[in-house]
Amino acid sequence: MRARVSSALLVLVALLLVALVPRPSRAFGEEGAFNPRILLTGTARWEGARTTGPARWSEELTRRTSAPARLSPTTVRADAPALLAEPFAIWGGEDAVPALTEREVVGIRRFLALGGVLFVDDFAPESGAFGKAARRELARVLPDGAPIPIGTENVLFRSFYLLHRAVGRVEGEPKLEAILRGGVPQVIFAKHDVLGALARAANGTHPFVVVPNGEPQREQAARLAVNIAMFVLCSNYKDDQVHAPFLMRRRAAEPSP
Amino acid sequence: MTTSLAPSGDLAPSYQLLAALLTLVGIVLLALELKRSRGSRLLAFATGSLASIGLLCAVLRPVAIQSKGSLVGPRVVVLADASRSIDLPGPAGKTRREEAARALGELSKHGAEVRLYGLAFGKGAPTPLTAALANGAAEGAPSGPEGRLGQALLAARPMPRSDLAGAIESVARAADERPAAIVVLSDGRFDRPGESQAGEAIRAALGTLTVPVHAVSLATEAPRDASVRAVRAAGAAVAHQPLTLRVEIGCAGGLDCDEIPVSLRELRESGEPTLLASGKANASNGAATLELEVTLDRAGARILEVSIDAPDGDAVPDNDTRYLTIDVARDRVRVLHVAGRPTYDVRALRMWLKADASVDVVAFFILRTPTDDVVAPSEELALIPFPVNELFSEHLPSFDAVVLQDFNAAPYGLAKHLRSLARYVDKGGGLIMVGGPDAFVPGNYAGTPLAEVLPVELDRGPDAQGVDVASFVPRTTEAGRAAPVLGPLRDLIGEEWPEMPGANVVGDARPGATVLLEHPTRRTPKGGPMPILALGEHGSGRTIALAIDGSHRLLFSAFAANAAGRAHGAFWDALLGWLMRDPRFEPAVVELADGCIAGEDTTLTLRPLPGQKGDAKITIRKLGTGEEARTLSAKLDGKGEPLSLDAGKLQPGGYSATVEIVPIEAGAPSDGATSAQRGPTTRRDFACERGGDEWADTRPDPERLAAIAAATGGKSVTVDQIGSLPLPAATQIAAERRVSPLLPPWAWTLGAAMLVGVHWIVRRRGGLS
Repeated sequence: MRARVSSALLVLVALLLVALVPRPSRAFGEEGAFNPRILLTGTARWEGARTTGPARWSEELTRRTSAPARLSPTTVRADAPALLAEPFAIWGGEDAVPALTEREVVGIRRFLALGGVLFVDDFAPESGAFGKAARRELARVLPDGAPIPIGTENVLFRSFYLLHRAVGRVEGEPKLEAILRGGVPQVIFAKHDVLGALARAANGTHPFVVVPNGEPQREQAARLAVNIAMFVLCSNYKDDQVHAPFLMRRRAAEPSP
Repeated sequence: MTTSLAPSGDLAPSYQLLAALLTLVGIVLLALELKRSRGSRLLAFATGSLASIGLLCAVLRPVAIQSKGSLVGPRVVVLADASRSIDLPGPAGKTRREEAARALGELSKHGAEVRLYGLAFGKGAPTPLTAALANGAAEGAPSGPEGRLGQALLAARPMPRSDLAGAIESVARAADERPAAIVVLSDGRFDRPGESQAGEAIRAALGTLTVPVHAVSLATEAPRDASVRAVRAAGAAVAHQPLTLRVEIGCAGGLDCDEIPVSLRELRESGEPTLLASGKANASNGAATLELEVTLDRAGARILEVSIDAPDGDAVPDNDTRYLTIDVARDRVRVLHVAGRPTYDVRALRMWLKADASVDVVAFFILRTPTDDVVAPSEELALIPFPVNELFSEHLPSFDAVVLQDFNAAPYGLAKHLRSLARYVDKGGGLIMVGGPDAFVPGNYAGTPLAEVLPVELDRGPDAQGVDVASFVPRTTEAGRAAPVLGPLRDLIGEEWPEMPGANVVGDARPGATVLLEHPTRRTPKGGPMPILALGEHGSGRTIALAIDGSHRLLFSAFAANAAGRAHGAFWDALLGWLMRDPRFEPAVVELADGCIAGEDTTLTLRPLPGQKGDAKITIRKLGTGEEARTLSAKLDGKGEPLSLDAGKLQPGGYSATVEIVPIEAGAPSDGATSAQRGPTTRRDFACERGGDEWADTRPDPERLAAIAAATGGKSVTVDQIGSLPLPAATQIAAERRVSPLLPPWAWTLGAAMLVGVHWIVRRRGGLS
């Protein structure tokens, strides 16, 4: 018993000592790392099988690319000042969301006004309830912006991988939709449940089956996630003229989809 | 004293004239009468004429006028050429200046009855020649045949231009006594009027003043001389774009100028000038024009040296080399943006660079490292090889600035190009190193040639700490508060910065560098605050070290939202602007109003910004050797008034004037100490040459002088012919006048009556009625 108390005290002291060491809130070099934050609105909570999706997104990004990413992504509320701390957030859901509060509208509007990128992922594209509600609410945030389809001509489909179409847990439509600002996507709408495809349990199993093409489709979904991250980090870098001849040659060499 | 006769003033001149006419008519009628008569006609005519004259005298009653006065000579303005060209060779082994002094002596002799008013003309309004004497400039000068004005001209400071038209305009519009004539002493090689229609131009300059302009040629024969007469650019100089320079070569005096080698070089901060172009000119007929095409990669003031290899016998070797300051503009600033990995900081900088229409950005980001597992064949990737060798060898000169953002030099083959990158800066390129885990020391730059051009020192030891991960808020230095480069940012966010999540560990600022932001707690090995943002000059280029990777917090953060994210753009716009020597971000402007002529006093004009208080330290270094030629200083009172600084006499060649504004420490008394830190600096490159434009063409132009004289009714002569100049005559001015009648009125009347009586008697005896 005494030994257990001593051990507990030792651990406590050690924890205190560790706590007393001045530590940065975030290490140098991680400040600009990609962070797939989940945007929460209303009374929504981030729970369920998809909660591993953002971490997997970061993991895939750091495994495949040179980009740094937060391996333990956080959540952020739409009306919180923290929304303005970083330029990326994911708004996802299965069901229709209630109307945003004025504070949430203002918060998202400020986020977008500063140049933030919002990825709207419909976890249940079969019903489309979330997607419709999200579009409705974002129309309040950006009254002048209307989503338009974006396909392989858009930089999002070549920011790291050369993608032929968008896929997630479901194959869905080949194109994404986006509200553009300055010619580049700022609010990206996916009807594919990308986080569902990325989600992975601690034991390595995937909680969601990817349909109809199984694991190859999951790989394509991961590539789409990497491309979205690279677009957020590099903007339209791959639209630069210097890349054009290379990319045109590779596109031309590919079989027609 | 002079005495003269005049009619009495009782009658008006018209009546006096009438009386004289009547007398004349009477005498004529008498002559006609006597012609038709017989007898003693001669006696009758004599007495009749006398009687008529007597009557006239009785009417006019002549008076004697005694007057006392003096002869006053008319005012003749002598405009003596005081431009630098009069120090060129003249006739008989003398200079044109000596010939002009002799001409002034000859004029003094020939124009003894006129009042000569000597003016020296060159640039601006002409100045009295006697001013040079009054200033003591001619003290000790031997008195000689040239006289006082000639001595003054010998002592006059040569002027950088020869504007005769402006001088005549000034004389014609002067409020003092108008001249009766103008005499010009010159070699005829004017800036104004030009070669064509010189006479009309001078007539226009005279305006309502209608006086003759006489011309005295100081030289008529051209010396044996080959020279670079002019260098003209066909269009504006734009960085990276070919520019054609037309080089005009002159040859006079019978030199053999069949093939004259011409070379065009650019002066560098250090080392020998760089040859840009060369050619040969055939000036056997007196002149030749050679077109040389050059491409200048760096914007800003560039000093070009144009020189010829003159043939033997060249009497004026000083004009064989000319220096040309070309202000190279930019179409767009070409920026090479290289990032070691994509981050929010990279994203923010890229978005700003792409959003600025004046920036042409070429970007290369390392998106994949050799250890990354992309899970795809390369043909499914949108990645291209990083063309490091091509970029940093072949294409490097085409960029105005290079941004190395969080980029490790070792893994991607940049290390072998660091020397050429340092040379690129030395030749005028701009470099920004932005912090991150792979920048500065962790980026393997310590101990490399590139580290030498950075404005901060890098610890090259094996145990060197690369980064400090403790969060901090950057602190603005004294220089940062005064530097215009942080002005736009200050306007948006004041001096407060958002918290940074750490910094690259760098050493002290290098000599000449300016630290604008510093770490609040961390110290350098020498004990000073660690620089966070430092600006430096190296060679002809500029470098910036930003030892943080969180400037994107000025764009995207709750802090940034207060300024609507504009602080990031303001910060980077100013940094890139300073790098490109945008005048908006220079702490002061340095100018040379009259240019720089070797061997003559040079005056720099320093224009500080309003509100700047402290010391301005100006260091003039010779381009090529870096040798310090002068150090000057001035106190800035915050009013922003321009200051004139005497830089003394400089030798021919290119120079850089670096101005450092050291602000007064906050809280110091007004006369108090300036900061121990270095202040923001600016720089102006310039060149000094002997003679300048005035010596470029040594041929005198007596034809132009003759045209001016002919157009104004004057005469054109040589110095030896000055005696033939038609100077205006002197005027008698009366000082005292006394009028006294020759006879009383009654005596005139009595005399006239007696003469009439005698004539009456003679007529009666001669049988006339």
